[in-house]
Amino acid sequence: MSQTPSPTVPPADSDQDTELARDAGWRRLDARMLLVHPVTELVRFLPLIVGVFLLGSSNQGDPWHYLGVLVPIALGLWRFAITSFRITRGQIELRRGLLSRNVLTAPLDRVRTVELTASPIHRLLGLAKVEIGTGSASRSGDSRLVLDSLGVEHARRLRAELLNRVSVASGAPPPEQHRPDAEQVIMRLDPSWVRYAPLTTSGIVIALATLGAGSQLVDNLVQRAARSSHLDERVRALPLAVAIPAGVVTFVVVVSVLAIGGYVLTNWGFTLSRDATGRSFHVRRGLLTTRETSIDVDRLRGLEVHEPLGLRLGGGGRLNAVATGLNRRAADRTTLVPAAPRAVVLGVGEHVLGEAGPLTTPLVSHGPAARRRRVLRGVVPLALVPLGLGLLAALGPLPIWVALATLPLPVAGLGLGLDRYARLGHALTPAYVVVRWGSLRGRRDALQRSGIIGWNLRQSWFQRRAGLVSLTATTAAGQQSYEILDVPEGIAVALADAAVPGLVGQFLSPAG
Amino acid sequence: MSDVATLREPSGRVSPRAPVVWVVGALVQGLLLGAALFVASTVAGLFAMPAWAWAAYAVVAIGHAVVMPVYRYRVHRWESTDTAVYTQRGWLTRERRIAPMSRVQTVDLEQGIVSRLLRLATVTVTTASAAGPLRIDGLDTETAERLVEELTRRTEAEPGDAT
Repeated sequence: MSQTPSPTVPPADSDQDTELARDAGWRRLDARMLLVHPVTELVRFLPLIVGVFLLGSSNQGDPWHYLGVLVPIALGLWRFAITSFRITRGQIELRRGLLSRNVLTAPLDRVRTVELTASPIHRLLGLAKVEIGTGSASRSGDSRLVLDSLGVEHARRLRAELLNRVSVASGAPPPEQHRPDAEQVIMRLDPSWVRYAPLTTSGIVIALATLGAGSQLVDNLVQRAARSSHLDERVRALPLAVAIPAGVVTFVVVVSVLAIGGYVLTNWGFTLSRDATGRSFHVRRGLLTTRETSIDVDRLRGLEVHEPLGLRLGGGGRLNAVATGLNRRAADRTTLVPAAPRAVVLGVGEHVLGEAGPLTTPLVSHGPAARRRRVLRGVVPLALVPLGLGLLAALGPLPIWVALATLPLPVAGLGLGLDRYARLGHALTPAYVVVRWGSLRGRRDALQRSGIIGWNLRQSWFQRRAGLVSLTATTAAGQQSYEILDVPEGIAVALADAAVPGLVGQFLSPAG
Repeated sequence: MSDVATLREPSGRVSPRAPVVWVVGALVQGLLLGAALFVASTVAGLFAMPAWAWAAYAVVAIGHAVVMPVYRYRVHRWESTDTAVYTQRGWLTRERRIAPMSRVQTVDLEQGIVSRLLRLATVTVTTASAAGPLRIDGLDTETAERLVEELTRRTEAEPGDAT
């Protein structure tokens, strides 16, 4: 990524009317963004502004009031003034700065994803923020190209041309006229799927975080309400056998409501489509802030089917794309299907891959040694709890029933270990390496064999004794590495050799 | 696809001087940890460190500084062919890594102070994946420079963006 502006002016092109040709000169952001920045900055500074005016009322004539209002507006104007971008032949350049020039350059054939985001203010003004993901973005997050903001139509045209340019550059036949309305819709969110929201781990985490953040406020309100209505006395009068289930039910209801709220907020109107040229997938979603993500088909390296325990028991799943050029931390950008019935997840997966094999093929299990390891690792840590408490009880400071009450823990650990083993498995299809693992956060990953760029074989001392190895396929896409846990050594080596021809074979010795 | 096929070890050993660096590293680590224990127990008085505890600590630290480098020297190996790089490292937990030459993106050579005194270098080979760069510790400087030059030449010949 060069930091110097390219001095070359592109020669006139035959396709004068395309967005790319018109963009040959430096362009500014949409003038309407002048309204966005003051408003967002005002919202961000709102507490400060309120503070300034409240404090100001006591000592008058202070010029600080106005500074608090003017600074954010000036910041917005400043950002508009210093930002410009252009697309010259073969690259996109983003320039920031009036006097000192900072030019961020990315070759167009490295453009992997284009994302349009629109907050409620953006939507009101008909604007969208454009974020362009290039290969380097997966390693250093701050080199993302961000254009905040363009008119929605301009942004969509830019996206179409950026993505099609990619396909031209990589040698595919030139795409026919792009029409956004000619998109083929693969999946549309069914509002009834919100029933899966409380079953997802992320839903529960979001709900707990919200509860945690708001707990003090809620505490306060609840206490005040309880005291004023004498509810607390009535609750205290309840027998324990009623109070505990009532508390649990209340908790479940609150968590579910919050999880459903989060699901609706991010996934409302979720639409997965393939564009008219078939070169990219578009995901559109969001209730207030809308987000449109595009993933170039050429950058797709596989799929992840997420089946956390709750969702699995409820007959649902989630589908994520494994694509290069997407930041590993921004996993939510790669969602292809939010929590939904399993049949929908598999159907979409089959459509995206063009085959059902990797998602349905039976898996090779890893044998008794792997099972022993899963069970031991499930039971031992949880067995330490009743053992430790039992020791304390024997020494005196603790009543014995506390230790007995934790006895179900190792039993749950046993169940977990057995479930982990039952799900553990891998398979090799003509084009994919498939691995399924985990229980609480269960997943089935299908990774293109051509997307594997290395193998790591890891053995702890215990694994060496058990003749097992954890085989990891590294890749430039998605999570960057996909681990196949506790495979018997011979099978692991044979799998690595077969999946990527001509790599491992040269390091094999025939004798065991 | 037979179960008897095993992955052999990479052919090349690291420099016989490499364990010296590991011994020095382990001793420095042991001394720093000992100093921290001394500060916590005697200066700050958080807990008592009787003489036998100090003796036990010394035995473990010195044992680690002696056993680990010997064991590690037996494990650490590397190999570079026309089409791939292959490394093995670790001591209790061992890791073998294989990367095809066509996917290599950068090749780094680095030397710490102790390594430079001993004319040793570390070569790190990275691919487009953020997971698992291949590291070869304790190479002879000349060997390391030859390896870097060789890898750079081979990867320059490969087309594509290595993803």
